[in-house]
Amino acid sequence: MEFLNFLIMLCAAWLVWRRPEKERLAFGLLVASCVLMALLFLIGTHGSLVPGVNL
Amino acid sequence: MTPPSRDPLRPVVAWAVIALIAVPVGAAVWLGVVQGESPCILCWAQRASMVLIALVGLFVLRYGPRPRYLGMAVLLGTWGVFMSLRHSALHLARDVGQGFAAPFFGAHTYVWAWLIHWVVLGVIGVLLLLLRAEQTGAGIREPGRVGRFAMALFLVVVGANALQAFATTGPPPFVGQADPVRFSLNPRHWVWMNEELRGRISLRGSWAIPQPDPAAVDTDPSPANGPLVDLPTLPVQSWERVSASLDGQITDLARDAVTGRFLAVTDRFGVYVLDSALSRIEQRVVLDHQYSIDLTPLAGAAFVGDTLALLATNKSYLLLRPDPAADADREWRHFRETSGDVTELRRSRFATVRARQMFVLSLAYDRQADELITVSVPSPRQRRLVVSRFARADLVLASEFMPRLATNLVLGGRGRSLAEYVVTGAVAVDGKLYAFSAAYSTLLVIDLQSRAVTAAYAVPGIEHPAGLAARESTLLVAQADGRIAVVEVPGI
Repeated sequence: MEFLNFLIMLCAAWLVWRRPEKERLAFGLLVASCVLMALLFLIGTHGSLVPGVNL
Repeated sequence: MTPPSRDPLRPVVAWAVIALIAVPVGAAVWLGVVQGESPCILCWAQRASMVLIALVGLFVLRYGPRPRYLGMAVLLGTWGVFMSLRHSALHLARDVGQGFAAPFFGAHTYVWAWLIHWVVLGVIGVLLLLLRAEQTGAGIREPGRVGRFAMALFLVVVGANALQAFATTGPPPFVGQADPVRFSLNPRHWVWMNEELRGRISLRGSWAIPQPDPAAVDTDPSPANGPLVDLPTLPVQSWERVSASLDGQITDLARDAVTGRFLAVTDRFGVYVLDSALSRIEQRVVLDHQYSIDLTPLAGAAFVGDTLALLATNKSYLLLRPDPAADADREWRHFRETSGDVTELRRSRFATVRARQMFVLSLAYDRQADELITVSVPSPRQRRLVVSRFARADLVLASEFMPRLATNLVLGGRGRSLAEYVVTGAVAVDGKLYAFSAAYSTLLVIDLQSRAVTAAYAVPGIEHPAGLAARESTLLVAQADGRIAVVEVPGI
């Protein structure tokens, strides 16, 4: 999934550079990539948002 | 298009993107591909966060500093700081030099990620301070030469990241790994897996440990339902009572073999030295549990010579001493109430290894070994029965073990274990630890030399046992309500 996420980022950057009129699509890809990044982090922590320490 | 010359901040943003992509993200690719240090699943997310911040920078170069870009950059910086701290917390408290993978310029990558995201937030703040209203107009802008270089560099470095990610984590639906193997161009060495998708989801993870109530442990009191079967029964010989007026429910009881005095602690942080008849209070304090270290309810008490050792459920401990010359002004900080003749010597915490993330409900003192002893109580997350011993000299862990079962004792089936017992009272006598479990109302006899449970007895008729003390050849099981069951134990 990390591979897919970098592909999404590449697509967004390509649109910003070569197809700047497609800003909405590029920003949508940016948001999707952010969500996927956050999801992958939560998968890595098994949903344990709070570190394994005393609060 | 807006030409770059009208926007002096644009080259600054372009150089910031170049720096972010070239240094941390580019160095991470170099670490992975050249040095063979592959990122774990959490590292990947932090690297992706840095790339996304750089991508937002490209949006700013192309379309100007629109509010939603600035908002996204701040959100990514904040989330990145959180991710890095969450990741670092897995390793920061380990022993000296023990991190995850190799350090880089003296710090591990997850620490660098924290610093980088923190700097990103600072840079965003500075750029916002310098932003002028005329620079925020809408429309597509010419990124300029440096801006185009930033975009090209972004595509090259992120493309390299994508290739590294393909080799080390695989295509969807595979995700990154907790312990990734080193990078290789040979597909036979590629490891693609979904191991991280397994496991229980929880907000606090393994730290979601419910705190026990030392005065009202909620367990099955019937010995017949316990993990050990065919246990001999120890009948209660007689009943006694703490007739002195204590504030709160008793959470442990100890007896001084030399003087015959008793030490009782209650669920309202009361500490009482009682006479041998349990009828008169000789010394009394109510601890200020909010002073200094966090004290959860008191659950353990023991005489250590003329010192009173007290233990909270979270393994925080106190040492007190009856002292006719106690300084009232000095002790004011320690005690909310006092009889005026007690001095606090020390307040600190026991650190355990096997009993980490477990609470305790008992404290004993082994006079022969000069060690204090605790027994862990199980939780849904940690199902172990751990005996921890602390040297009196420095109050540091001396040894720790999970007692085995002697051959004369039999478990009632597969899946049953000693970890089902909830020890709420313990006392050490002649090299043996007597531990009373509120669960299944059972007395365990643990040989401290062989580290084995050598005997166990069912003791029916006990309600909310909270403490255990020894008096000559008998054991005194203190209930939370102040009643004390006297039982005679063979061999004591």
